[in-house]
Amino acid sequence: MRWAIVRFPGSNCDEDARFAFERAGMEAEFVWHTERELKGFDGVFLPGGFSYGDYLRAGALAAKSPIMEEVRRFAREGRYVIGVCNGFQVLTEAGLLPGALLANLNLHFTCKWVGVRVERNDLPFTRRYEKGQVLRLPIAHAEGRYYADPETLSRLEGEGLILFRYAPLKGEEDYNPNGSLLDIAGIVNEGGNVLGMMPHPERAVDEVLGGTDGLPLFLGLKEGR
Amino acid sequence: MRYQATILIELKEGILDPQGRAVEGVLKGLGHEVEAVRVGKVLEVVFPASGEAEAREKAQAMARLLANPVMETWTLEALKPL
Repeated sequence: MRWAIVRFPGSNCDEDARFAFERAGMEAEFVWHTERELKGFDGVFLPGGFSYGDYLRAGALAAKSPIMEEVRRFAREGRYVIGVCNGFQVLTEAGLLPGALLANLNLHFTCKWVGVRVERNDLPFTRRYEKGQVLRLPIAHAEGRYYADPETLSRLEGEGLILFRYAPLKGEEDYNPNGSLLDIAGIVNEGGNVLGMMPHPERAVDEVLGGTDGLPLFLGLKEGR
Repeated sequence: MRYQATILIELKEGILDPQGRAVEGVLKGLGHEVEAVRVGKVLEVVFPASGEAEAREKAQAMARLLANPVMETWTLEALKPL
């Protein structure tokens, strides 16, 4: 399985993503955001970082990049599209996932390890996890507060599109790091092929990085549909 | 002709604005009587147009593109020929 990792001006988790794909036994290549075609790729990954310096809004300007038409096609055709952190912001700004990511309630850039509960494990992204398993993953963002209107939230809940939720690691009460509604940390589209999440699984694929709870996400993708 | 459009982008009413809250706290700390503060963005765009009607249409099209309808509203605050 061959992955395209899109580089926007300001992306900075691109190398981490490639490391994770390779660690899981897949191929990954960088693609500059002005490209219009993604030939020979099975999936596309939008990495974390600060595309266009987060100007206007995080992910807003990157969402208008030429490559995004091709990302839309991937999403439509049922191929995998993953956006992590800034990539998640790009996916919501592009309308490929519902809702928006607003400034953290505490107004801080928050960089720490958090608990992330797996809400369902019948998708390739999570098939290597147990349902209800709480992962330990890093976050690093200033605008990660998931917001959507009440109708969208109830649709996400009702259709099981919330894939990851913040959860206590050690029973702590204050486990939601940014004020996300419904403790949402990651969602998928109706087709189950487009994933957006704020925590960084690609930064947790080796003990030397501080944890390996992100690796099964990539291993699950390797198995295909 | 050239026109300058001033576009105001604000968070929708009811969406918590932590930036506004922070500014509010500072103003209150300085002794000002403040009920609420909301922080928005002002964009000044200069562009060519044949007349005011076309300029208005172009400015509105750009504003729709630049504001995120999920969480924001936009207003064309001003439009002036340069």
